[in-house]
Amino acid sequence: MRLLRPGAAAVVVTTLSILPFALTERPYLLHLVILCLLYVCFASAWNIVGGFIGQISFGHAAFVGIGAYTTALLWLRLDVHPVLTMPVAGSIAAAYGWLWGWPCLRLTGPYFAIATIGVGEATRLIMNNLDVTGGSSGLTLPTPESYSRLPDYYLVVCLAAITVGTSLWISRSRFGLGLRAIRDDRDVAESLGVPTARYQLYALSISSFLAGMAGSFYAQYIFYIVPEEVFGFDLSISMILMALIGGLGTIIGPVVGAVVLLLLEQLVLVSFPNLHLGTFGLLLIVIVLFEPRGVGGVLQHLRNRLSKESARGTS
Amino acid sequence: MTLTWPDLATVVVSGMLLGALYGLMSYGLGLIYGVMKIVNLAHGAMLTLGAYGTLWLYTNYHIDPLLSIPLTAVGGFVIGVLLEISLVKRIRQAPPISSLLLLFGVWLVVKNVLYLSFGGDDQSILTSYTFERLDIGIPVGLTRLLVFGISLLCFGGLQYLLHHTYPGRAIRAVAQDSVAAALAGINVDRVSAMTFGLGSALAAIAGSLMALIYSFNPEFGGSFLLKSFCVVVLGGLESTIGILLGGFVLGLAESMSVVVLPASFQDLVSFVLLVAILVIRPPRTGQKP
Repeated sequence: MRLLRPGAAAVVVTTLSILPFALTERPYLLHLVILCLLYVCFASAWNIVGGFIGQISFGHAAFVGIGAYTTALLWLRLDVHPVLTMPVAGSIAAAYGWLWGWPCLRLTGPYFAIATIGVGEATRLIMNNLDVTGGSSGLTLPTPESYSRLPDYYLVVCLAAITVGTSLWISRSRFGLGLRAIRDDRDVAESLGVPTARYQLYALSISSFLAGMAGSFYAQYIFYIVPEEVFGFDLSISMILMALIGGLGTIIGPVVGAVVLLLLEQLVLVSFPNLHLGTFGLLLIVIVLFEPRGVGGVLQHLRNRLSKESARGTS
Repeated sequence: MTLTWPDLATVVVSGMLLGALYGLMSYGLGLIYGVMKIVNLAHGAMLTLGAYGTLWLYTNYHIDPLLSIPLTAVGGFVIGVLLEISLVKRIRQAPPISSLLLLFGVWLVVKNVLYLSFGGDDQSILTSYTFERLDIGIPVGLTRLLVFGISLLCFGGLQYLLHHTYPGRAIRAVAQDSVAAALAGINVDRVSAMTFGLGSALAAIAGSLMALIYSFNPEFGGSFLLKSFCVVVLGGLESTIGILLGGFVLGLAESMSVVVLPASFQDLVSFVLLVAILVIRPPRTGQKP
């Protein structure tokens, strides 16, 4: 909620708008900032289903991939300006989410998770073997001759703002309250009049719409997409991991998680690329065992301890 | 497309042969779910470890893959028990999502260890009898028959264990009602650890057998994990016979699919079947966490 305090919001807005000018000399840093904001979109989109309803999806890369491929194909085949394809990409991803969410969201807990692994892998397999998608060799998009990262930067800032803003709106609405009720106890929520099936479907559609838009941005920023990347299981895992690191079901959690994961990738995994999976795995284990609420939980602990100590100090 | 009779026979026989292995690969998942009510996402890791264990014993000590099965089984049991005692036990009271994520983490770590120690290349084990064929009306690979036989033997052994020995009865008792079992004097903690070990051992055996007929890499467990889910959901979570039948159904469905689908889409059969069954007959999750 602190996010919305006018002062803090002003600081965030100013920092984000000036940042690229401070980084004109260091394009790589700007690239990292863009990636980080993209990660924020991924994690926040996932969090709407995984955090708010507590339905862990291992298949969210499917939406990212569909968004990316929609943009790539519209751009390549019909020559539509990539930015204009973003809403289309989001809508198609949302339609896909609706399509399999409708049957799958009746499942709960581990069953939903398993079904999403199935859906995600099936989608990847199909995309890998279709001709229209270029199969497993992927699609290369036209790189412009003069290239500036600035437009991309502002685009991803807007995208992140939309994604985080949507999360914030959901969490404060009656709808969000309903989602949380479903997470805590679906049967009780249903009996109190929460339309559980409909609400979950809405949440999944919104989440997949946002993930699809993020995928669309990925395609137009990276210029090259392959099914193994944009539909990859690894992408789904990082989405889970980011939300889990920051704190499931919170607004700021996925943002913090995205920053932590990016730093982790850049500082540690760049030097030890073959420890990638293991690091992710260990992180999952450690977080689940010691602090299921993620960074937010750690901060809470520290705050409690500090206040306890200061209380002791004054008495 | 028209099918000739021998073609159909080949498809059915290979489906059945595969089905027994699919059953064996899934008992562990069902057992662990039955006793502990958790879905073991590290199951794929145990399958892969079984396959790599067999490869390691074969290349370093020239132990025949078939003889290495007891060794990988013991190894799987020990790893499973250690995993339960060190990690899974600590989150037994937590919501089901925790165990899911935790065991998924274990799987990632195992994959990474395998990448580091064996590399990411496809591995396969070629024995003197790998390409032998038997003619039982239609030609059938010897290794496939061996795998089928051993899978059925393991099924028999598991049935005997579960129905005629004390530990087996204890496992079934805890699966039915852990509180009542505890009241009757069964050490539920020990049974849980034992079940996790047994489930992992069965997965490791299945992995060893798969090493005989498939090539494998560290990612190998993934699609078989999904297939195991499919089998377990088909067969009912807590019945070994049901799981064996589920294995046959998936095996047949997969081998039949070759007739209508390109081979690269074969894995799709289990995914679609899995999602379809989950949706048509949603499993009752039983008690609340």
